Amino acid sequence: MISRRDLLKLSTLVGLAPSFSVLGRDLAAPDYRIDIAPVTLDLSPRHRLKTTAYNGQVPGALLRFKENQPVTVEVTNHTDRPEVVHLHGLFTPPEADGAIEEGTPPIEVGASARYTFTPRPAGFRWYHTHTMAMDDLTRAQYSGQHGFLMVEPRDDPARYDQEFFLALHDWSGYLLANEDGAMNPSYAVATINGKAMGFGEPLRVKMGQRILLHVLNSSPTEVHWIALAGHAFRVVALDGNPVPTPRTIPMLRLAPAERVSAIVEMDNPGVWVLGEVRKHVQALGMAVAVEYEERRGPARWEQPSDLIWSYEQFAAAQPANASPAPPILVPLVFESRFRGHGAMEAWTINGESYPNAKVAPLIRGRRYRLQLINKSMDDHPLHLHRHSFELRTLGAPLTAARGAAPSEIGGILKDVLLLDAQTRAEVEFTADNPGASLFHCHQQNHMDRGFMMLFEYA
Amino acid sequence: MASLWRPTALLAIAFSPLLAHSQANYEIQVYGAETVPAETLMVELHSNFTVEGQQQTVDGVLPTNHQEHETVELTEGVNDWSEIGFYIFTSEQDGHGVQWVGDHIRPRVRIPDSWGWPVGVSLSSEIGFQRSAYSTDTWTWEIRPIIDKSIGRWYFAVNPALERTLHGPDVNQGWGFAPSAKVSYDITPVVSAGFEWYSDYGAIGNISPVHNQQQQLFVVTDLNVSPVWEINIGVGIGATSATDHLILKAIIGRRFDWGKHSPID
Repeated sequence: MISRRDLLKLSTLVGLAPSFSVLGRDLAAPDYRIDIAPVTLDLSPRHRLKTTAYNGQVPGALLRFKENQPVTVEVTNHTDRPEVVHLHGLFTPPEADGAIEEGTPPIEVGASARYTFTPRPAGFRWYHTHTMAMDDLTRAQYSGQHGFLMVEPRDDPARYDQEFFLALHDWSGYLLANEDGAMNPSYAVATINGKAMGFGEPLRVKMGQRILLHVLNSSPTEVHWIALAGHAFRVVALDGNPVPTPRTIPMLRLAPAERVSAIVEMDNPGVWVLGEVRKHVQALGMAVAVEYEERRGPARWEQPSDLIWSYEQFAAAQPANASPAPPILVPLVFESRFRGHGAMEAWTINGESYPNAKVAPLIRGRRYRLQLINKSMDDHPLHLHRHSFELRTLGAPLTAARGAAPSEIGGILKDVLLLDAQTRAEVEFTADNPGASLFHCHQQNHMDRGFMMLFEYA
Repeated sequence: MASLWRPTALLAIAFSPLLAHSQANYEIQVYGAETVPAETLMVELHSNFTVEGQQQTVDGVLPTNHQEHETVELTEGVNDWSEIGFYIFTSEQDGHGVQWVGDHIRPRVRIPDSWGWPVGVSLSSEIGFQRSAYSTDTWTWEIRPIIDKSIGRWYFAVNPALERTLHGPDVNQGWGFAPSAKVSYDITPVVSAGFEWYSDYGAIGNISPVHNQQQQLFVVTDLNVSPVWEINIGVGIGATSATDHLILKAIIGRRFDWGKHSPID
């Protein structure tokens, strides 16, 4: 095993290296190197666990790419099983996207793989393992294999004094019977950036600063609600894409794989808690102190009385990508299949589980509207690889009277949508990135059990 | 549980064939390891009818034949790893009307789910009184380890219970061994079917002969119609002369969530 210190040293050296030109890239050192290896992680004084991580740390090193500037990343697998690293939210070719289902070759034990691609679009993305865990709640996304990835625009219009990247994660999973009669993962520990409350370094700020928070929910299965006591968030981007209507709100909701970028005005000196709104989750450790300069003492928490969130508040009245031709409708119905009270459910899209779930091939350049119909009793964070989609209608109950269509919205571009149980929603995307593109629920136990489908191009 | 007051029955069986049928079935249930959640009250009604049982009064204990037993069980969740249960036992029989039989109290603790054990494990301790017309031993104590496991559609539970008399003729007989077990299969999300086995082998260190042991096998179905309802129905046969020969049982339970729950809890 490579020691954590060695890996940190290595990743620091490589991560700071300047980018090389495309010419001669194969001969040169990569711009970034990701080493996948076992680590022992101290989440808190009471919770030490063995997991797998990138470059010996959780989250993995922040990768900063320049938009449209080619980059080479080399990934080496030091674990005892094949791995693959998904570049979540990027429009990469299938062979570099990091999904074996799309055609990215797995990185065999002890092997390295080198990916050269042109990062786009700009914004807050992330990278993570895209393997299966099945019944092992320490593998795949249950492990520490996730890291931040920022594709910087050529001109950064954002105005902020300090930037923080925060990853919400759940650890030490165990199965618990759900009210719907099936087993689902629950967790013993919850962290921000791999540390439980009080164990990690506080976020140090100064009075009058504008800080930009990039929050990622890297949890394998859990939705999280985040608030910063004494402060509000001005949400400027969802899943790395600027929202048409930034709003100042008291809390954030992030489904697995979702990201929120928000500005916080540091105008209330003290030591505050930034953490999960729900008491039982914060009690598991999901919080971090925010410490103003020259302020000390216990961090203060102000408990919200409710959970408040909607995507619609950030929308524009008009769609971002109005197409003269009506979009091609693609109905996708999600259902569960009972596998026993002692098992997790299996999942289907239009009655079939992966790899049998299929739809007609995409035609390049055409606009598609996915009609997402969730007949199950679970919420699903739905993710489309290699494309962004635009939210068009949301939250219509399946039981709503025929003709009571929800109002249309536009302008919110995302790559993950949390579809509530027993509701339908519609999203649109343009088929402008040929190659196999995976569509799946980002809840690890759901994708493990069939909730995936490949969009193929004609 | 299995049938209550097995020490009474078993030890009576061991020492007097005339008492071989003095068992009393009030709560016929194999426990699962899960406990009732905090701020939740589980109300259960156990209805057991002995179609074919003991027909004679033995040592002052009424015959079980055609006895209808109604037991109310109230279980309150204390926290996410413990509960406390309270029982009210009644019996109805021709010539005797509806009679209060006794009460028990049963605290129970379990291994929290967050410990990640591969099986569910809990331990109950049940202590209580029953009138001498229904059991020669009026005070009894049961310690019941509970181990269970769900694997896919299969469910397994084992309750290797130990029982002893605190007041009554058998007070000096020590601990008896009365294991029970259950295996069931989920036919659909709503309907499970399986078998429950109840037994009493008599005093530890002085196991009764087979014909004096209690051995019952129930064919049961569990109906999972709702997270708040619990329904278990079964028919059981006694395999030894010391066991009631044919019993019908039903458990209907409902959870009442009385806590103030907020989405931010």
